[in-house]
Amino acid sequence: MTHKISGAEILLESLLAQGVDTVFGYPGGQIIPVYDKLYDYQDRIRHILVRHEQGAIHAAQGYARAGGMPGTVLVTSGPGATNVVTGIADAMIDSTPVVVIAGQVGTSLLGTDAFQETDFIGLTTPITKWSYQIRRAEDIAWAVSRAYYIAKSGRPGPVVLDFTKDAQTGMAEYREASCSFIRSYVPVPKPSEEVLEAAARMIVESRRPLLVYGQGILLSGAEKALEAFLDKTGMPAASTLLGLSALRSDNPHYIGMLGMHGNLAPNIMTQACDLLIAVGMRFDDRVTGNVKTYARQAKVLHIDIDASEIGKNIHADLGVLGDAREVLEALTSRVASRKGGDWLQEPGRFHAVEQERVIAPETAPESGPVKPGEVVSVVSDVCGREAIVVTDVGQNQMFAARYSRFRHSRSMITSGGLGTMGFGLPAAIGAKIAAPQRPVCLFVGDGGLQMTMQELGTILQEQVGVKIVLLDNNWLGNVRQWQELFFHERYSATKMVNPDYACIAAAYSIRFENVESRGELRPAVERMLADDAPCILRVHVAETDNVFPMIPPGKSVNEIMLNEKEWFTNGN
Amino acid sequence: METEKLYEITAYTENQVGLLSSIAGIFTRRSLNIEKLLVYPSTVEGIHKFKILTRSTEHLIRAVVLQIEKKVDVVKAFYQVNDERSAREIRIVQEFLEERERAHGQDDIK
Ligand SMILES: Cc1ncc(C[n+]2csc(CCOP(=O)(O)OP(=O)(O)O)c2C)c(N)n1
Repeated sequence: MTHKISGAEILLESLLAQGVDTVFGYPGGQIIPVYDKLYDYQDRIRHILVRHEQGAIHAAQGYARAGGMPGTVLVTSGPGATNVVTGIADAMIDSTPVVVIAGQVGTSLLGTDAFQETDFIGLTTPITKWSYQIRRAEDIAWAVSRAYYIAKSGRPGPVVLDFTKDAQTGMAEYREASCSFIRSYVPVPKPSEEVLEAAARMIVESRRPLLVYGQGILLSGAEKALEAFLDKTGMPAASTLLGLSALRSDNPHYIGMLGMHGNLAPNIMTQACDLLIAVGMRFDDRVTGNVKTYARQAKVLHIDIDASEIGKNIHADLGVLGDAREVLEALTSRVASRKGGDWLQEPGRFHAVEQERVIAPETAPESGPVKPGEVVSVVSDVCGREAIVVTDVGQNQMFAARYSRFRHSRSMITSGGLGTMGFGLPAAIGAKIAAPQRPVCLFVGDGGLQMTMQELGTILQEQVGVKIVLLDNNWLGNVRQWQELFFHERYSATKMVNPDYACIAAAYSIRFENVESRGELRPAVERMLADDAPCILRVHVAETDNVFPMIPPGKSVNEIMLNEKEWFTNGN
Repeated sequence: METEKLYEITAYTENQVGLLSSIAGIFTRRSLNIEKLLVYPSTVEGIHKFKILTRSTEHLIRAVVLQIEKKVDVVKAFYQVNDERSAREIRIVQEFLEERERAHGQDDIK
């Protein structure tokens, strides 16, 4: 006789078979059978009860990005499911492996506008790597193993499992399934010998090469391979926002961050190099500025795992399809050792200008209100570059990206492609749960914090030791900056009247530090980082500070504002 | 400017619920109008075939085809210029419309 168990139990067994030990979720009517079974699995699966489903998915994203394993989300149908849509879109564009399991009405009610029925597959098809409706208990193990395989293989991404109630309660035999092959799906293409040879030739023939890398380095575990490639070729390298921490900040080849608020050197050198090698990045418009003028003088060698990225935004003279680590290793063995020469002196000039004109005034002002860049710099100092930095979106994000220094990989978690305000707090919770031994510092604005502030309740309940650095400027700072620079200082709907955060922290029994002036900053940061307990450090920062340098939208990457009045010119 | 032509895209896929809307969504995002769509079992057993006619530049068609092929349940996708095949039909239609508009003035249909 065969032994049958419920679909809910098959789901939990299938999750265990995938190595899942943490689930972020929120219960409801159409997922109750799974929650009922979860009661018996509490010793093996930790369920983090968030305060809003958006918190569950962002926490799962933070968990995945800090830990490298897929995050798992469990929600009910209808509003529970629609509340995770923002996070799914975010995970899709930022290639984050998450599996969302959502309850669904019973199969006999599908399509009838039943209570809390929503076409979740239809809603999420354009923003998932794969979505599947489980309608029979017999299909659960199969669907779960596919879901995890698809979410984490190749270019990772979100997967949705829409789980009907009758499949949860139906009885079936559990047979462990494991998926490592789907005939229509090629997650990791292999580059041919000829293509690798051609790529190596381009590298050897170049005089002023520049390597730009993205999150692909982290996703493929290519950190060491990249270092070795740079050591051998002697070329400079720059990171996208999502690539940050793949190279240590003090790597001698590292010349900074690309893009709208990136460093001068990599943006200007993009327009001077003769070969641009792009690895695991997708030429987002925040990186390229005006594509018509972007790196026109250079040959472009684009290495990516996703064929649809090659030539999508920037024409590639040669595309190499493959895993970043494998390709970099193959190329390292094909090129001769060489030194960078004069070209390597270039960044120094630009760094000096940026240091004097932008960095020093932002991170080491002598008087006036505390600056956000100064806060990031002090936090980075005090935690000895050990922390996982999580950011929200806006000026806080750009200051955190510009002034954090990294020693370890997977230490920068931020919403890049979607730019989702409210991402930071829940993502930090997930990151801390994935990497409990590391300090996790969140930089967040007053706007973004209040978008998902209810997750302080999750911190309270689960005692997650997140350090929340609130850069409080009483404005939607990033939008205010655009209004100041490009909309004639017409500050439409960007001024914020904020609550008393001391009371908020007290309500959630979270330690609170308040900083109004420079002298209080370092001691408060030291107290915050002295233990592993959750803490809110609210810093009243210069209210109308702006992030610079800035490549205004639509401009070329070498048209850079140094401050509100001055543009970079190659002479200054 | 790259010139627009009529392209025929073919995709060989698993027979999965929802794949049609998933593929159609790629065209919607790029504001591409599907001129013709056929979905039927291909001569490869168990594999379905999509045949889609759309007018665009080769650059965009190439991007679309790669995004179709990226779908987990899509085996392969191709494109080719369909002009050879339909050139005659198109010429007839165009001449018809031009003649009408010469006689009646420009139609401002959107
Ligand atoms: C969900 C969402 N809504 C709106 C925006 C547009 N937006 C980008 S930055 C920003 C202002 C952020 O203000 P705040 O959180 O206070 O951070 P600051 O820029 O001041 O550091 C806004 C409104 C967004 N990115 N995400």
